[in-house]
Order: sequence, then C-alpha cells, then structure tokens
Amino acid sequence: MKKYDIIPIIFWIGLSIFMMVLSIRLGLGKFHNPGPGLMPFLLGLLLILISFYLFLNCIVKKENGDKRMRNKLNQINFIKIGLVSASLFVYALVLNRLGYLIATFLLLTVLFRSVGLKRWSSLLIISALTVLVTYFVFTSLGLRFPEGILKLR
Amino acid sequence: MDIFAGILYGFKISLQHLNLFYCFIGVFVGTLVGVLPGIGPTGAMAILLPLTFGLKPTTAIIMLAGIYYGAMYGGSTTSILVNIPGEPSSVVTCLDGYQMAKKGRAGPALGISAFGSFIGGTFSLVVLIFLVFPLAQAALKFGPPEYFSLICMSMTLLSYLAKGSVIKAIVMVIFGLMLSTVGLDLVSGMPRFVFGSPSLLDGIGFVPLAMGLFGISEVLMNIEGPLERMILKTKIKNILPNLEDWKRSIGPIIRGSVIGFFLGVLPGGGGVISSFVSYAAEKRISKHPKEFGQGAIEGVAGPETANNAGAGGAFVPLLALGIPPNVVMAFLMGALIIHGVAPGPTLISQHPEIFWGVIASMYLGNIMLLLLNLPLIGLWVKLLKIPYRILMPLILLFCVIGAYSINNSVADVIIMIICGIVGYILRKFDYEEAPLVMAFILGPLLETAFRQSLIMSDGKFSIFLKRPISGVALVISAMLLISSGFSYYRKAKMKVKE
Repeated sequence: MKKYDIIPIIFWIGLSIFMMVLSIRLGLGKFHNPGPGLMPFLLGLLLILISFYLFLNCIVKKENGDKRMRNKLNQINFIKIGLVSASLFVYALVLNRLGYLIATFLLLTVLFRSVGLKRWSSLLIISALTVLVTYFVFTSLGLRFPEGILKLR
Repeated sequence: MDIFAGILYGFKISLQHLNLFYCFIGVFVGTLVGVLPGIGPTGAMAILLPLTFGLKPTTAIIMLAGIYYGAMYGGSTTSILVNIPGEPSSVVTCLDGYQMAKKGRAGPALGISAFGSFIGGTFSLVVLIFLVFPLAQAALKFGPPEYFSLICMSMTLLSYLAKGSVIKAIVMVIFGLMLSTVGLDLVSGMPRFVFGSPSLLDGIGFVPLAMGLFGISEVLMNIEGPLERMILKTKIKNILPNLEDWKRSIGPIIRGSVIGFFLGVLPGGGGVISSFVSYAAEKRISKHPKEFGQGAIEGVAGPETANNAGAGGAFVPLLALGIPPNVVMAFLMGALIIHGVAPGPTLISQHPEIFWGVIASMYLGNIMLLLLNLPLIGLWVKLLKIPYRILMPLILLFCVIGAYSINNSVADVIIMIICGIVGYILRKFDYEEAPLVMAFILGPLLETAFRQSLIMSDGKFSIFLKRPISGVALVISAMLLISSGFSYYRKAKMKVKE
C-alpha cells in the first residue's frame, strides 16, 4: 500500500462528501431546471468516484514509487516552512493595526533571517531600505497602504 | 476589417507611446523572471496583474503577453549558462546548450536561441492571424452544448498531457471547478459555500488564488532546495552564429516553427511540449544523432524556436473560442474578464483594438527582445548571480503587496497565503496546480453552458451527443480517458511482471 498517497485521498473523499451534503441543502433542482446545487453535487460525486478508484489502486499496487514520495516529504523543512507561513499570516493580521512600514519591516527581518542572512546590521539595513523603496515606489503608482500607528500624512 | 487593414490598425495601436512602453516593461520583466530563479512567468503575471487594473485592457494584455514570451527568451539564457532552466519550456535547451557553453560556445548558443525564438515567434504570429478568423467565424455558431463539450475536451486533453499522473490532474480539474462554484450563483443569485464571509460572496479571487499557487508555493518549494547555484565561468563571445552554425540550424528552426505552432494550439500544449517534440524530431532525423547531448547546435535551435512558436499558437484557441489552452492563456483570460472584456469569438469584432493591438505588439515585442537580449547578454548574466536568499523575501513581499492592492483589503492577502500553503502541499503530493487554475477560470463558463444546455433540451443529456461538434468533442474526450486508463493499466502490469 502506498501510504503517502492515502493522505490526500482521504482529504478528497472528505471534501466530496462535504460538497455533496451542502449542495443538497442548496437545492439540486430538476434536470430540466437545474438548481444552484446540481453542478457542485455532480462534481462531488465525480471526485468521490475517482478517489475510490485511487484508493483501490493504492491498496492493490505494490510499494513502487513510494520511496520517491517519502524522500520528497522527508525533505520538508518544517521549521522553515512553518516560520515563513506563520510570519505571513501574522503579517496579514497586524498589517492594518501596525501599518505598512512597521509590519513590513518586521516581516522582512524575519524572512531575510530565515533564508540565512546572519549579520544583524545588514539584515536591518536591507529590510529598512526595501520597505522605504517599495513604499515610495508603490504609493507613487497610486497604491494606498494602511498607515497604522505611524501617521505620515 | 480585412487582414491587411487589421495588421496596419494593430501597429497603429501598438505603436502608441503608452502601449509601446508597457510592451517594453512586459518583455523586460519577462526576460528578468526567465533569468531569475524561483519565479516563473505565471508567478510574475500574477504579481503584476493588479498593477494593470488602472490601464486600458489592450495595454494590460500587451504587457502580460510580453511577460510570457519574454520569459521564453530569458529561460534559455539560464539553461545555457547555468544548466538550470529558468522556466519549463527551456528544459531541453539545457541538454545541448550547456554542453556548448562548456566547450566555449556559449555565444553562438545564446545567439541561435535568440534568432530562433524570433523566427519562430514571427512565424506563429503570421499563421495565427490566418487561423483565428475562420475558427472564430465557425465558433459564432456554437451554442451552450458545444461550449460545454469543448471545455470538457480541452480539460481532458490538458490532463492527458499533464507532466505527472493523468488521474491526479483530473482530480485537480475537479478541485478547481469546485473552487469556482464558491460565491453567488450566476443564475439564481444564491450564495454558495461562503460560510457567512462577505469577502467570499464574489467568489475566490482569481488573482490571490493564482499568486498563492504560483508565487507563494513556488517560494516555499524553493526554500528547501539548495539556495545557491554554480554559474559557468565562461567568456561570451561571437554571439552572432557563423555560416556553419546557420547551415546546421536553419532546418531545425523551420521545423521547430511548424511543430511549435501546431502543438501550441492544442490544450495542454504550449511551449513545454513543443520544445520536447522538436528536440526528439531533430535527434531522429539528424545525420549525426550521437552529437546530441554533446553540444549539437540543432538541439538548441529547434526547441528554442519551437517554444516561442508554441507561445504564439496558444493564442489561437483563446482569441477564437475564448477557451485558453494552457495556464498562461488562462491568466490572460482572467485579466480580460477582470477588465470587463468577454474573450471568445466576438472579441475580434467587438474589441478589434485588443485583438490587433496585442498581435502587432507581440511582433514589436519580439524585436525588442532581440535587441534586449543579444547586446545586453552580459547584464543578464550578472543578474544570474543574485543570490536567491535576497530574492525570496522580495518575491513574497511583492505577492503580498499585489494581493493587498486588489481591493485594499487584508482578506485577499489571507486567501493568497492559504492558497500558497495548499499549493505547496499539493506539489508535495505530486498534484500539479496548472489544471486547477485552468478549471477554476473555465468553471463558471462550463457551469453556465451545462445548465443552459439542460434547460434547452428539457433535461435530456442526449443533447450533448446529438449535436455533431459537441458529440465529436465528447467522444474524443472519452477516447483519451480510456486510452490513458489503458496505458496506466499496462504500465502497472509491466511493473508487476518485473
């Protein structure tokens, strides 16, 4: 059994059931007058059929190809990926409150640090410069950034 | 408007200062992302899409198209000098291009790929003009059943030609279609799958989705890889290929143009497959096949021509039918829709300025690329040396700014980040995101056609088979699915035997 392939299949089956239940609630209508739920319902049905086919395949087939997948998954650097995604999420959440300049400066410091920029002085200078350059370039292009706690205008 | 008048009109449009400027920006950014690691043309188009909101649709498409074919040029530079393809359609160029560079012939390799690209691009534009008209005329007669079946066929073909597993590609198509149903139902006005979130009422935005899948997830994938790369230290001289080079290359360039164009028209085709087929063809008919892989100039000239010709061919189904054959064209379709232009057979008559302007601009763009790439090759090589760790945070920042600028709202940024993480996980499990994005953009069209057809036929599914064009398209899709299932079964059986 290809155990790594099973994880997404379980997700697909769950998703299809979820879609189908919600679609029935939306109303399937009749074939001559299809309701808003018909298309998503049929998609859910199709996905569940394919998932079962994939599932059977996983059980029947030998472990061929599983090694490659395992290598690929073992490569995952959870700390780095987690740090980068978490910092992006936090950034999105505090952007309006802190404002573009401060929030972005903090984000860039974390990101540059996470890709291996070691010296704090260059880290801070690069981040600050990037924030200022992007701020002035994009505001001159007509974009409006949240000001947050720094009131520039 | 006849073709000749149309071409003149197109040049009048594309030679306007603003359009010329954005065409240059497009090909420049295209070459840049083709050269730089960690971001491809799709990612760059996604990031720059919000910046085009304030422009006229013609100008916006001119710039976005420029990024696409510009990246083809830039991608070959990295293939030849670093042995790392800047984007997928330059993968085969690595085989002989890098070998040529190692033998001190980087100059002619870069030169022939630029000239080949130019010839292939020009050829495909000329054929494109002659092909789009009759096709669009025919497509005007298509009704909802035809559209439904053609979209089905194009998505089946796309899955059939996918890099990895066909079934996984189909799963991605269905997932994309599902995502496209989020938001207000077009017919009944009922909200679907919004879970009380007002920002989902308009559906999941195309831009945050695409930026997440192609920008963020690409960066996440690259964080894990080796961060630095080796660049071949070689003097680039004699960029102009000599007579002998030309003699050997002219055949591959002509064949590459034809192969590239027609494969580009096919759904799922485009630059990648064109370049592979051209390489295989050249190797097969060559008098000295053993030189391939050792630095044969034919192996650079053919594929590099074919991928640019394929880029032109891919415009045919988008401009004539409103059905994009690959993910880059899906982006252009998304951009047209955002600008309030309906792509399809009526595009030429209703928006001649877009059709002719974009086509003429591609011609001008090809000339700009030639000027930009050959004399300035040294500059691009310098850019290759930018370390990835500087680029990664910048790419992420541009994604965030791009997503925020769509509606000045953080909601789009969050959707983009979620899409990015989902895309990363999908990539890890060998699911490609291109079919997802294609299906997402075609979803509303498919659903409307499906529902209208059923209303037309009073609920009978036979309408899809009774109408000839629709029937043929569905039969082709079924045959493709059966044949892929069959070869899958055969492969599995062979593995068991081994």
